[in-house]
Amino acid sequence: MTEQEILAAEYALGLLQGAEELNARGLMASDTGFAALVAAWEDRLAPILDTIPALTPADDIWPRILDALDQPEPVVEVLALRRKVRRWQMATGLSAAAAVTLALLALPLMQAPTQAPSETPSQAPQPATSDAAAPLVASIPIGDTQLRLGLTYLPDREEMLVSASGLTPDGIHDHELWLVTADEGAKSLGVVQPGTERRMTLDHAVAIQIHDGAKLVLTREPLGGAQPGNDAGPVVASGIFQET
Amino acid sequence: MSGSDTADTARAQLNAAMQRLASGDRNALESIYRATSAKLFGICYRILGDRGEAEDALQDVYLSLWKRADRYDPDRASPISWLATFARNRAIDRLRSGKVRKGSVPVEEAMDLSDAAPLADELLQSAEYDAQIHHCIETLDDSQRDAIRTAFLEGKTYLQIAEMRNVPLGTMKSWVRRGLAKLKRCLDA
Repeated sequence: MTEQEILAAEYALGLLQGAEELNARGLMASDTGFAALVAAWEDRLAPILDTIPALTPADDIWPRILDALDQPEPVVEVLALRRKVRRWQMATGLSAAAAVTLALLALPLMQAPTQAPSETPSQAPQPATSDAAAPLVASIPIGDTQLRLGLTYLPDREEMLVSASGLTPDGIHDHELWLVTADEGAKSLGVVQPGTERRMTLDHAVAIQIHDGAKLVLTREPLGGAQPGNDAGPVVASGIFQET
Repeated sequence: MSGSDTADTARAQLNAAMQRLASGDRNALESIYRATSAKLFGICYRILGDRGEAEDALQDVYLSLWKRADRYDPDRASPISWLATFARNRAIDRLRSGKVRKGSVPVEEAMDLSDAAPLADELLQSAEYDAQIHHCIETLDDSQRDAIRTAFLEGKTYLQIAEMRNVPLGTMKSWVRRGLAKLKRCLDA
């Protein structure tokens, strides 16, 4: 087997983590040949799932699914953070030189190999809420250091992988990741744990904002992250995910 | 009608429902749920090891399916095979999101998978009962087979399996890679 094929099998099995997993996810988005290798391995392995005994779910699961289908998309409550972000934007303005503009790598949309040609072939980008399933990948340099934060947003799962394996804790600060939109201010996406990988599920409203180009900002905070009622700490990096 | 006709009919109905789903037909989603939820719930429970978590995962599977019905590629695998893989992947995502405390059902508690034959009494199987993979996986060394099954059925990474089996990471990787190469040769033979 080629290296690519081994990697595809390892990815299909879920053996990878950290940088290797991020790399494979990137390939899934950018390399249709790799994605096909993964799909082939998934199909080969799927019969193993037949060895798992079936189990009848409780009767209330189907009604729960129906209810969820009828529910409006959740709205993010960010009122408490609006005031904070205004102060924070001022602070950021004062220390603009310290903020780093990021070059984000955005991967092209992946076309499913068997997708039927659309009726109106067009090069126009798909709408924000469309099926733009390719992960968006960012490797964010922090300040003027060698440290990088890896972010991979997975549109189809509305998840983001945060890889801070290159960071080491200094014992004094944590870094906190925020999503900032013009309308709604800042929403904390949580403290970035140095040296770890984290997979976060984003609620749908946040996912839409990422599609729409909301800004991601990393701030330096006391251990444990920004305290409610206090200003967020200094911005050490910021950027947006972009589709190309 | 013979058993195999019944199975063919079940597969054909599921295929048709998957296609109707893409046009936003809720009845199609219900048909799919009725036909597949026990199988997919079994998979979610196997991986997550907790009934409540497995129920949440199951709900998530069908809601995702509804939102992203276009992701199913009818040219690829059988729909049940695709759905089973989809459920497995979602359950593993959930397991790794850190929300689940318990984790997969230990093998000895669930069933002894080293002897597990596919369950022949189910109408909807991912593939033929004699799917080559069942034969080929038996040709692997015990350590290779164990690692591949543990990854696939319990959602464990290289690092986790190496720790569980108390072997160096590099050793575990080379077991798995040799096992995968052997599996592929056997499947292609």
